[in-house]
Parts: sequence; structure tokens; C-alpha cells
Amino acid sequence: MQGLSPQQVTIQARLPFVIIFLVSMAGFLLIQLANFQFYPREVAQELELRGDASANSIRRIPAERGLIYDRDGEALAFNALQYGVGISPNLVSEPRRLATELALILEKDEFELYQTMTSDESWVLIARPISAEQGQAIADLDEISITIEPIPRRFYPQGSLAGHIIGFVIDDGTKGTMGVEGAYNASLVGRVLDQTVSNIPFDLPEEAPTEQRGQDIVLTIDRDIQFWVESELFLAINETGATRGTVIVMDPKNGDILAMASYPDFDPNNFIDVEDPDLLRNPAISDTYEPGSVMKVITVASALEKGTISPDWVYNDQGRLELGGIVIENWDKNAYGVVDVAQILIRSLNIGAASIALEMGTDDFYSMMRSFGAGQLTGVDLFAEQTGILKVPGDSDWSESDLGTNSFGQGVSVTPLQMTTMFAAIANDGIMRQPRIVKQIVTEDGIQEAQPTTIRRVISAETANIVTDMMVRTVNEGIPQAILPGYTIAGKTGTAEIPTAIGYEDDSIVTFAGFLPADDPEVVIFVKLDRPDGYWGSQVAAPVFKRLADRLVILLEIPVDDVRRSLSNTEPAPNIVNG
Amino acid sequence: MTQNWFQHTFRRQRFQPQNQAAALAVLGIMIALILGTLYLSQVASFAITNREIESLIDQRDELERTNEQLIAEIASFRTVPRLLARAQEIGFRQATNADIEYLVVEGYNPNRTLTIVDINNTDDEAEVVPVYDETFSGWLEQQFSILRDQFEEFGK
Repeated sequence: MQGLSPQQVTIQARLPFVIIFLVSMAGFLLIQLANFQFYPREVAQELELRGDASANSIRRIPAERGLIYDRDGEALAFNALQYGVGISPNLVSEPRRLATELALILEKDEFELYQTMTSDESWVLIARPISAEQGQAIADLDEISITIEPIPRRFYPQGSLAGHIIGFVIDDGTKGTMGVEGAYNASLVGRVLDQTVSNIPFDLPEEAPTEQRGQDIVLTIDRDIQFWVESELFLAINETGATRGTVIVMDPKNGDILAMASYPDFDPNNFIDVEDPDLLRNPAISDTYEPGSVMKVITVASALEKGTISPDWVYNDQGRLELGGIVIENWDKNAYGVVDVAQILIRSLNIGAASIALEMGTDDFYSMMRSFGAGQLTGVDLFAEQTGILKVPGDSDWSESDLGTNSFGQGVSVTPLQMTTMFAAIANDGIMRQPRIVKQIVTEDGIQEAQPTTIRRVISAETANIVTDMMVRTVNEGIPQAILPGYTIAGKTGTAEIPTAIGYEDDSIVTFAGFLPADDPEVVIFVKLDRPDGYWGSQVAAPVFKRLADRLVILLEIPVDDVRRSLSNTEPAPNIVNG
Repeated sequence: MTQNWFQHTFRRQRFQPQNQAAALAVLGIMIALILGTLYLSQVASFAITNREIESLIDQRDELERTNEQLIAEIASFRTVPRLLARAQEIGFRQATNADIEYLVVEGYNPNRTLTIVDINNTDDEAEVVPVYDETFSGWLEQQFSILRDQFEEFGK
């Protein structure tokens, strides 16, 4: 220690302690560092999550929903943007000016906005949703304190047109419900993605993936036909004082639904304003009713197919038929004596239909009813289809009288689409096609063409032709209101009583189902009106059918029979198309 | 020994400024300044690029909004009631069945069945495309052969 200053001596004395302390601390830190590597998995994951949470945030990228078109490519549903506007009060430099400007754009109270902007909150939502124009006007303010969040919105440019068919979307446009939007939600919706976005200011955002878009859908619906059908239905409702109505137009050869209209309808753009939620359902597939006399066609076709009766079959109509404890009478309570099968349809005789059902027996009658699709789903690709009700022997509520009443459309309930499909099967030589509403699905890989699906052959072509001839006679001899000059029309009216808990109402549901041209049907038209001022289908529904048919032959380019037959007799010219 | 290294370490030395040390210090400061400047310029350029990207994103969003508005506007112009009203304004009227005259052209059937022929799979024999199989050595042999023939011809 000699030669050292006192200061140096002090340092020399203390230095070992300092060195020991520093080495100990370094050792401790090294041990802790090593310890980090051997934390339990849960702790390690928690720490990783905390690290990610501070460095990244999750941004949900909504998928663009697929579009819906009619068969000619007219847009029925597409996407638009609305916006949600929020504000960060601590970033607002001139709250008074900004409140004035926002109040003008958003049409909101200026003072309320000012209070919002001067609040202690870190972020406040001030309007949602707002239109694209408003969103643009706010974006033009170029205010750093304002955040504008795009909100996808479904837009239906045709308004209420085909609203029941298209359906609507809920949950900010992410979930389809009712109609095609509901039935094809999985195809339309696309994939919602969660993208991890860095919170570090200098990190560039990753490119949003593009393969998440939903698939486009092309419907069998023809927008122009749908428009005319809806217009005619609305007119008929006004003229007849009916409370509700449904019209379906179908191509019997492939099951394509060309139009399906119901009243009251709704605008899917404003479905939220509909007070009665029942109005959102599609009555054509979701509401059942007792079809009445149109069912006689099915009874006759069934009996002919089973061989129970022949076209020459006759019976003695005495005006009354007791069956299972009830008395069946004709609509006019008259007795018609000896009449043949065709007259049962032409004069719409309840006793005749019941007599045929009795001849058939329960097994044959109900198996044919099933075969025609009563009490079963048609399988149409729409949301919320109902089966209807067909009581059969063995059911607790079935009685013997049902066999008689079912034959003329009482005690059995069907949807309008089921009835249309039954008539379409007769029009298509006995082959029942599954009704369909979607024609094509457009994917990124190409177009998936929906092929017509055959449900089953219900009756033979021969039986179908015999029944068609009877239906033509029914129109020509019994329903002049449905005759369209130049065209042969096959059809049948129905006037159904409306059941209540204690019997039947005084009002009726009137229907007319028919197709044309009868010898080569291109279109089946079904008309149903509830509680019109007139009671009978021939008075009320048949004229509507005629007006629709008159317009449809133009829209579908169906020439009058003479011309059509001369065209089909023309030798086909060779025609080869390069594909 | 311990004292020696300790004394050596903590021996108070006289401050002796040296040109070399000063130069090193200046060089260090210069390098630090250059690195700092480079870093700042890089960050500034990055920030400017990000700002430009954000501006482009804003532009894209604006164009998307405009596009959506135009689509909606076009769709509203194409609705059936509007088309009907417009057609009436310019003098059209609704055709009735009586207005339509069908002309039957002999030999022409509009409902004929079209035969689709795949142009990529025709029965005609496809034209044979010559295969390119020439090589450099082959070309040399060919030239040599021509030359030899010429000499032989000349010799005759």
C-alpha cells in the first residue's frame, strides 16, 4: 500500500465488493435469461400473445357477397357500401368548426356532436350507417380525428320485385335469410378473413387476399315475366278485393320457375320496416291451403293411371253421397245423373271425384297422392319450404270421409308450388321435374350449370295426354274466361273453402291452374287469390290466368297454334355450330 | 503482482493530447453523423412512401365508392317501370298478341336442334407440323457434304 494516496487506498478496498456485486448481478441476469427458455408452455404462450397483442392487431376483412342475377343477367342483388363514422376526441383540434361541418353532412344536432367531441372518451361512434355520399363528404374533410369504417350493404336494385324469391341478408350483410339468400348463403357468403395487421407505423399492410369472394348465382327467374306477373297479381288483388294472392309460372319441361309472385310483398332493401314478420315468408312455398277442385284433375289422373277407371267410365250422380258419416254434395247441390269422367272435370263434380276415390280404394288413392307429391317437399332450392298435410289411413286424425273429401281437394293441404308441380308433371307427359330457382352458379373455376332433376314418372305419357285432353275440354266447355284465342289451353279451376277450428269460413280461396299450348306445353301458370269478392275460381282466377297467358305468349315468343304447328312440320335445316 | 496491474490501471496519467486520438474522435463523430443522416433519410423516405400508399388507398376507396354509386344508379335506370316509362316517352307502346305476325319460312325451323361440333376434336386428319430436329453438327455435315459433292462434280 505504500506510495498510494488515501483515495486510491479506499478504492482499492472497495473495488472487490463492487466487482463481486457486478459479477453476481450479471450471473443473476444470465440465469434469468436461461430461465426464460424453460418456462412452462402456457406461460410461454401467454407471453407470446402479449407480445403479439402489442405489436399486431386483427382486422376482419368481410368477404364480398356473391351477386344474384336473373336468367338474362339482370342484377337482382348486389353489394354496396355504407359507412360507420367514429371520432377520437383527443385528436380534435377545432371541435366547434368540426361539429358544424359534421352536423351539416350527417344532419345531426350540432351541439350533441360538439359535446361528443369534447368528451373524455378515447373514441366515440357518431353515426352508423351512413350513405356513400355522406361517407365521401366526411372523407373530404381530411380530418385525422375521424375514422370511417366501410360496412358492406346488400342492395336490391329492383326494389320489391321478386323480394320473396331473393330473400334478404342480416348481420351487416353477412348472413342470408329467406329465399335464395338463405338457401344459398353458403355459396354466396364467401370467406370472412381475419388479417393480422402490424401496429408498427412503418410496417406496410399485407395485401388482402382476393380468393375469398362469394359465388354469383343466376336464377331461372325472368325479370320481365316476374314484373308482369307481379303487376297482374297486384291488379287482380285490387280488382277482386282479395286479401292475398300467389302466381307461379313454371316451365314444365325442366322445372324452371320463371316467375313466382305473392302479395302482400316487401322490399328486401327495407325488410326491417315490415311490421308483420309473416309477410317475409314466401307464401308460394311456405303457406299451405286446401286446394279445392283443382285436385280433381289429380284424382282423375291417378285413377286412370291405376286402371281403376277408363276414359269411358261413367257413374250415376244422384246429388248426394254418404261416406264415413258425412254427406258429400256437388258445388251447386244438383244431381247430374249418368256422367262420364270428363264431365267430372268440366262440371267440377265433387260426387264424381269422391266416387272415383272410392273405386280406387285407400291404398291406390293415397299412394298416387304421395306420388304426385302431396304432403312432401318439392325440393325447390328455396328457404323454408313446407310439406303440406296429407292424412293417410293409420293416422290418428284420418277418417273414412277423408278419402272422399281429399279427392276434391278438401281435408288436404298443399303449397301453391306443390300444386303447380303436380300440373307440370301432367304437362310434361307424366314426368315430374323438381322445381328449381337457380340456373347457374358462377365460381372462380367456371360456371356450374344446374341440371334439371327428375323426381319421378308419376303417370304414363298416355294417361297424361288423356287428362290433358279432358282439361282442354274443361276450359273450352266450362271456363270461357280462361280461353285465349289462337291457343289451346288445358286447365282447371278450384274454389276452396277456408277451414277454421269449427268448420269453414264464408269466404273462399280461388285458384286456376293450367298450361299452354296444351299439345306441347311450354308454360304452367298457377293463380291463387284469397278471399276475393267473387266466390268462384272461374269468375275470379280464370280471367287473371287469361291476362297472364296473353302477355306470356308474347314474352316467351309462343306463336298461335296454327303457326306453331306449321313451324314444327317444317323440315329442320341442317345447322352445325362450332363449339 | 496484484498491485502492479491495479496501479497500472489506475495510475493517474498526465493528459497528453495526441493528433491521432483527435482524428479518431472526429472520424467517429463523422461516421455517427453519416449513419444518423442515412437512418433519418431512410425513415423519412419510408414515411413518405407510406403516406403515398395511404393516399392511394384513399383514392382507391373513393373510386370504389363512386363505382358503387354508379352501379346503383345504372341499376335504378334499368328497372322495368323506368324502362317502360322511357319507352312510352319516346313513342313506343305495348305490343299485344294481335300486333304480332308470325312468318313461316319454308325450310327454316326455329326450334331445330343445334349440333355442337368441337372444333378441337374434328375427325379430319390434323396437318402434320414438321419437327425441328436440326443440330449444328448436322448442319456442318450437310455443308461438308455439299462441298464434297461440288468437288466431285468439278472433278468429273
